[in-house]
Amino acid sequence: MMEPPFEIEIPRGRVIEVQRDDSRVRRGGGLLRGMAVIWKHWKESFRLNRSYSQIHGTFTIQYPEEKPRIPEAYRNMPILLYDDETGHELCTSCFQCERICPPQVIHMTQAKDPATGKPVPAVAEFIIEYDACMSCGFCAEVCPFDAIKMDHEFELSTDDHAQLTVHKAQLNRPISYYASIAPTMWAEVRESALKKLQGNIRRRPDVIGIAPHLTERIAARRAELAAQAAAPSPAAEPASPPAPSAPTEARKLTPEEKAAKLAAIRAAKAAQAGDGVTPSAEGGTPAEAPPADDKAARLAAIRAANAAKKAAATDAAPAATGEPTTPTPADDKAARLAAIRAANAAKRKQAADSVDTEEGS
Amino acid sequence: MLQTQELQVNIGPQHPSTHGVFRMLVTVDGETVVDLKPVFGYLHRNHEQIAEANTYLQNMPYTDRLDYFNSMANNHAYAMAVERLAGIEVPERAEYIRVLMVELTRILNHASAVGFMINDMGAWQTPLAFGMREREKILDLFEMASGARLMCNYFRFGGVARDLPPEFIPNLRELLVALPAYIDELERLLRDNEILLQRAVGIGILPREVALSYGVTGPVLRGSGIPYDVRKAEPYSVYDRFDFDIPIGKVGDVYDRFLVRIEEMRQSKRIIEQVLEQLPDAKGGHINPKARQNVRPPVGDAYARIESPKGELGFYLVSDGSGKPYRYKVRAPSFINLTPLADMCRGYKVADIVVILGSIDIVMGEVDR
Repeated sequence: MMEPPFEIEIPRGRVIEVQRDDSRVRRGGGLLRGMAVIWKHWKESFRLNRSYSQIHGTFTIQYPEEKPRIPEAYRNMPILLYDDETGHELCTSCFQCERICPPQVIHMTQAKDPATGKPVPAVAEFIIEYDACMSCGFCAEVCPFDAIKMDHEFELSTDDHAQLTVHKAQLNRPISYYASIAPTMWAEVRESALKKLQGNIRRRPDVIGIAPHLTERIAARRAELAAQAAAPSPAAEPASPPAPSAPTEARKLTPEEKAAKLAAIRAAKAAQAGDGVTPSAEGGTPAEAPPADDKAARLAAIRAANAAKKAAATDAAPAATGEPTTPTPADDKAARLAAIRAANAAKRKQAADSVDTEEGS
Repeated sequence: MLQTQELQVNIGPQHPSTHGVFRMLVTVDGETVVDLKPVFGYLHRNHEQIAEANTYLQNMPYTDRLDYFNSMANNHAYAMAVERLAGIEVPERAEYIRVLMVELTRILNHASAVGFMINDMGAWQTPLAFGMREREKILDLFEMASGARLMCNYFRFGGVARDLPPEFIPNLRELLVALPAYIDELERLLRDNEILLQRAVGIGILPREVALSYGVTGPVLRGSGIPYDVRKAEPYSVYDRFDFDIPIGKVGDVYDRFLVRIEEMRQSKRIIEQVLEQLPDAKGGHINPKARQNVRPPVGDAYARIESPKGELGFYLVSDGSGKPYRYKVRAPSFINLTPLADMCRGYKVADIVVILGSIDIVMGEVDR
């Protein structure tokens, strides 16, 4: 027997030497004790017992027939969410997930407005290489729009390697699906996610940002609504002043409503401009109207809203000093955007002018 | 007189007893080991170089893949290193959650390490299943909290990724009821087993001085009789608030390491109980809300070490002020504990090599990086 090595006082504990019992003579006793343990377990193994506080009984899950209980936080592969009602995807292609992805398996391209070629807050194509994804969950963690979430699906095996490069069409899941697999985690972010989505929908022209498999359906529905709205164009005149009120309602607009409103505005404009100027507006389908028209209508709407707001502000300013008017964020944002755009246009014009003068001199 | 000759034998790299891809070039004289040369690098995957190309946060999931049994412990060491580098405070509650996770990891690791060691002795599968059973339950808990069983990726700079879910604590309390019985049973199953005694007592002795000179840490060092534990020697996190003992061995053989691991599981269970007592009073949330995850630490370097289940795990980071580490170095306990393998094996039989290797408890993912 060796002496204990050192006697050390350690804070909040002792150094203990393990009991070896080398000297005890054994004639198979230890072996039998071990066998007794195994015997007990064998006897109990016919009983199903999934309690954490029990060490006996079997807790095997008969897998293909019986699915394992998956906790809410479980993360396997990333998926993209879209809104059930409107079909709009939550993703705005901000590239945060692409940047943070440790194995760099996320690739995306931003959607562009077909009319102006300017990027819009929507994603054109989104690819995740599932075969190289390490399921770390960073993409879901950084996503400011809660557009990318981790799925619970784990039966992903396939005999085709190419299938593991997953495109947006296969990544899309409705919000209701995610809410069903992770109810509390979705409840935490629901408010802000939907609010941000509504803000983004307003900046998305046409069907951009709508889940691909819903695009056609929603476009068809829009055309139908637009046709309905455009047909009685002179009669729609009394209803033409919705333009100022549009932004306040815009937060709750479904695409159908939006399309209808747009069509109404367009019809009103056409009516104002006179029948001779835009004969196609009545005869042709308004849904196929050139996007420039669409844009002009929207701009007009924004301008009208701004004017209305400005008027309201000037009206309210002298009176309501105690209770400042708090414009809804959406309103505010639209106004600011319009202001920024106007400033930019002015700047561009100035720059062009100065270039001209320089060239002239 | 019989003409004898030394023979060189390769064990591995593809060998079921080598815990991964690891080759031992053994010189044998009959059945007796004359010399042994460990050859590793078969699982090298450029971990440190990849880390220097990644941002600090992106490295967190890669640390999971070092010692894939103890991803929580690896996360902890790395998070501590970055927090030291960037000067990030960790709330009290987060510290308790961290300690809780790392101690659960220790139980999990030791249970399976004992199981694998017995498996290497030839007791195929049955004791291993005993070692793995409670591990499953602990992995369930990890899954609840972090979302993954093995590659937890749970720690963040300044805390942990998300707070414990409501079902975690009740399940953990249930598990704590089972743990003492489980550890006792595992000990009763194996401790006095005559076959195990034959294979373990007096085998693979690592003398105290040799262990010290190689820089061995963890249960292997404590098995050799040196009461060195980073949790006591340099208390990090909130380890100075817990009562726990340091078990040490007498001889430094395979049997001592086995007993030290069993005892450490009991001590870890004690720590978890104390964590559960103190957790409700802990201040702060699960993460420091001011901590930025895309850190850009000031120019400098930092070293953080923890007592990982396998030994002293350290991360050394050098920052050049950018968002990526300029140098990233892992002090991997498995690697350093493996280096005295030749000294431990010399003079024993070929069959003992496998047992000795099993008693060191290595994970090749950490050895080769």
